[in-house]
Amino acid sequence: MKTLIMLTLILIHTTLGAQPHTIIIEDSLGQHTFQQIPQRVIALNWAVTENLIELDVTPLAMSDVDGYKTWVRQPTLPADLIDVGTRDAPNLELISQLKPDLIIAGGMQRNLLAKLRPIAPVLLFDGFNKDHNNYQAAQHIFLQKAKLFDKQALAEQKLATKHARITELKNQLATHFNHQLPKVTTIRFNNTALAWVFGDNAMPQYALEQLGITPAMPLPATQWGLMQKRITELSVIDNGIVLYFEPFAQRDKLFATPLWQAMPFVRQQRFAAIPATWTYGGPMSVLYLAEAMAEQLLTMTP
Amino acid sequence: MLRYTLTSLLLLLAVIGHAQIGSTLSPGEQWQLLISGHAQAFAEFQYYYSTLPRVVLAVAVGAVLGLIGSLLQQMTQNKLADSMTLGITSGAWLALVCASVWAPLLLAEHGVWLAMAGGLVATALVLLISGRQGVSGLTMILAGMAVHILCGAIASAVILLNEQYTQNLFIWGAGDLSQTDWQWVEWLLPKLAMIVVILLIAHRPLTLLRLGDQGASARGLNLWPMLLLLFVLILWLLGSTIAAVGAIGFIGLIAPNVARALGARTALDELIYSMLLGALLLVLTDALAVIGSQWSHNVIPSGTTAALIGAPCLIWFALKRLRAQDHACLQLPPGAQQLSRLRVVLVAFVTLMMISVAIMLAPAYVEGDGDGDPRWQFQWPEPHILDLRWPQLLAAAVAGAGIAIAGTILQRLIRNPLASPDILGLSAGATLALILGSYYFGQSIHDLGPAIAFGGSMLILALIVVLGRRNHFAPGVIILIGISIAAFIEGIIHFTLAKGGEEVYGIISWLSGSSYHVNAHETLIVSAGIAVLACVALCTSRWMTLISSGDGMALARGLHAQHARLGLLLLSALLCALVTALLGPLAFVGLLAPHMAALLGAKKVSQQLLLAMLIGAVLMLFADWLGRTLIYPAQLPAGVVASVLGGSYFVYLLSRQRRSAI
Repeated sequence: MKTLIMLTLILIHTTLGAQPHTIIIEDSLGQHTFQQIPQRVIALNWAVTENLIELDVTPLAMSDVDGYKTWVRQPTLPADLIDVGTRDAPNLELISQLKPDLIIAGGMQRNLLAKLRPIAPVLLFDGFNKDHNNYQAAQHIFLQKAKLFDKQALAEQKLATKHARITELKNQLATHFNHQLPKVTTIRFNNTALAWVFGDNAMPQYALEQLGITPAMPLPATQWGLMQKRITELSVIDNGIVLYFEPFAQRDKLFATPLWQAMPFVRQQRFAAIPATWTYGGPMSVLYLAEAMAEQLLTMTP
Repeated sequence: MLRYTLTSLLLLLAVIGHAQIGSTLSPGEQWQLLISGHAQAFAEFQYYYSTLPRVVLAVAVGAVLGLIGSLLQQMTQNKLADSMTLGITSGAWLALVCASVWAPLLLAEHGVWLAMAGGLVATALVLLISGRQGVSGLTMILAGMAVHILCGAIASAVILLNEQYTQNLFIWGAGDLSQTDWQWVEWLLPKLAMIVVILLIAHRPLTLLRLGDQGASARGLNLWPMLLLLFVLILWLLGSTIAAVGAIGFIGLIAPNVARALGARTALDELIYSMLLGALLLVLTDALAVIGSQWSHNVIPSGTTAALIGAPCLIWFALKRLRAQDHACLQLPPGAQQLSRLRVVLVAFVTLMMISVAIMLAPAYVEGDGDGDPRWQFQWPEPHILDLRWPQLLAAAVAGAGIAIAGTILQRLIRNPLASPDILGLSAGATLALILGSYYFGQSIHDLGPAIAFGGSMLILALIVVLGRRNHFAPGVIILIGISIAAFIEGIIHFTLAKGGEEVYGIISWLSGSSYHVNAHETLIVSAGIAVLACVALCTSRWMTLISSGDGMALARGLHAQHARLGLLLLSALLCALVTALLGPLAFVGLLAPHMAALLGAKKVSQQLLLAMLIGAVLMLFADWLGRTLIYPAQLPAGVVASVLGGSYFVYLLSRQRRSAI
């Protein structure tokens, strides 16, 4: 009798165990439950695509493939992704015909929810917001996706590698600058008179923060973390380093001017270029930013 | 000469005042620096290489804009002519937008030539449309606005499809004078030598023009070669300033008007005095931009303050000085004498064809298809596709029909076939309401819904009615008010775009008139509204017939023309507001559908209304279908496609007519 009960219990246990367990995912809209791992996923936003590929998950389709290849670049895309059109207005009919079992959208696509929901379950991750810490949000979003696709181990491992690499860079920088790290601000030139300056809540600034560096020109938090400023306003940076993101077509024109040459950070040769790097990505893109910036900083005389 | 002395003195004071803003140097130190020209501290560098070139550039650009405005106004004998109202500026803007996407290096090296080429093409189009007779009247302004809208629509499409590339262009579109060196001044000043040439050669032909074109020819002078030379010089000056500082509006429009109001009589007097006033105006408005930027965290472009101050001035002038606008109207090809039965059947057939194509023909993704490329299908869509497609199609068709009725009413009312509902400024009002709403509620403008857009349009309508009442709703004045309001709001839109951020693409996609974002519920409500208004329009067709035949005739038949005109204006505006609320601003369909109806032979008002309605709906269905399939899987907004199609057809129509006239 006892054995029989035991056997029954074991049987019940195994049947339950064979049942797919419920996955609970939290996005910007609330909690969603999934009974199984989605197989046909459409990524409507470059940040989503970037996250998924870092997690070794290949989406079925994504928006603006060419744009991703030009602007995001890392990680590289697998060859056979279907393009569903622009991020602003992805092709709903095509999305519907692809019969996805999950659509992942970004904050910019909140207004599409009513149209997407009848097609498939939608997860919406609002990565960039004035009212939250964009980096923490990016990390949370990355881990939520890892949970959904059962890639937690990989995600933890990637984050650990990233942490280790950034710590390594941080130590190198500390040694290089004799433990007196300079202040650094990153910018993207607009034309010869104006520039976008990355401030609080910008990914480059979070990357610098993780390297132990404080901003040379503190700016209040905004949605994407950047603000347009006249170039003369950069002169407040009298004891810090300025790094700018390439490309800048009018570079030679601006850099030859006496005013630019009189900028404190130019006079002290504390100014360098960073090769084009995506500044609105996930946690792994922060590593790429940190690597690109550290490489330049390490070439500067302390 | 008191006038010149006083204005020069004011300009001097303004320049000195402008140079004080944002400089920590004392006047003594500034003087020292000016004499020695040798900067040491950064504040000195900033004063010498940023503040001073900016003031000098403001004076130079202001003077050029004033001169160009005065030249254009005298050449066209049109007090509202300006590089902005003639569409030249938007032609240059379109050229630069395209270059920034497809040839960024070319843009950095040869921006001037691109801007000039764009401006040249736009000018050619405007002249082609308005023709020799239309140059002096409202027709040229209407043609200019049409070209402005066409260029703007194409630029929006390019921006929407290449958003990442164009982020830095918006500040240029807004016009900004910030400087970091003397290089732009050194670059621009030699090019301005042409001003001397203009002042030397322009006096005689302009004076003769005042006698009228016939008067001049009677003296045995052919003015056209000289005017052509002046146009080329204008384009050269304008292209140079646009490449240097971007598109700054209103200065060129207002300076000559103020000059005349203050007593500039002869042609040369007006040219020179407009230059002086243009410089003064730009220095003052730019000083405001600098103060504004210091006060807020954001860069405020110089062009924005110029628009914010300029537009109210323009409205004031429109009300004060432009009471009797000419109605010299453009004749389109007359077309058939009457609507034959065959034509009706043909239109019905095309309509049915278009409806079935719009519903059934589309590229589709087929699962398991080897190469994965989309395949064309002609079949009744599956339910899940139909659910996505029908609201879009209905919205496009209804919007086309609605705007076509609004256009027919307006053209009958204003007796000018170039009148199009989008120049009333209602869509601009809707856009402004949506932008302010999205700031206030912190939502994307697509979430705000048609109610707010409709409210914005209604506010502008109320403003037009209040302002236009003084002039008994004279059509010319109404249009001028509409254009001024639209330009004012454009200044605000440019500022928002230049500020950057996520809302930029929401605004651009709204401005391009897309059926993508409509939902079934709203579409049904708006369709019902437009259907009701269409019935009202058909009932009032007798009014339109009477008004077309003159106020006196109307009164004799017992119709109070002024009341009827107000009623019809309201009807047209309501239709336009409903369409805008649903789809966003729609250009050209409201202009073209009534013409095509007339070309097919619909001469009676009721016939024209019905036929225009059908044509408008078919045009929009076609535009929407093209937008969905042309660059599949990406999509173009129906409004942009309609503008490009309509605009090109329009230009073709007019050029053909001009050729047959010769």
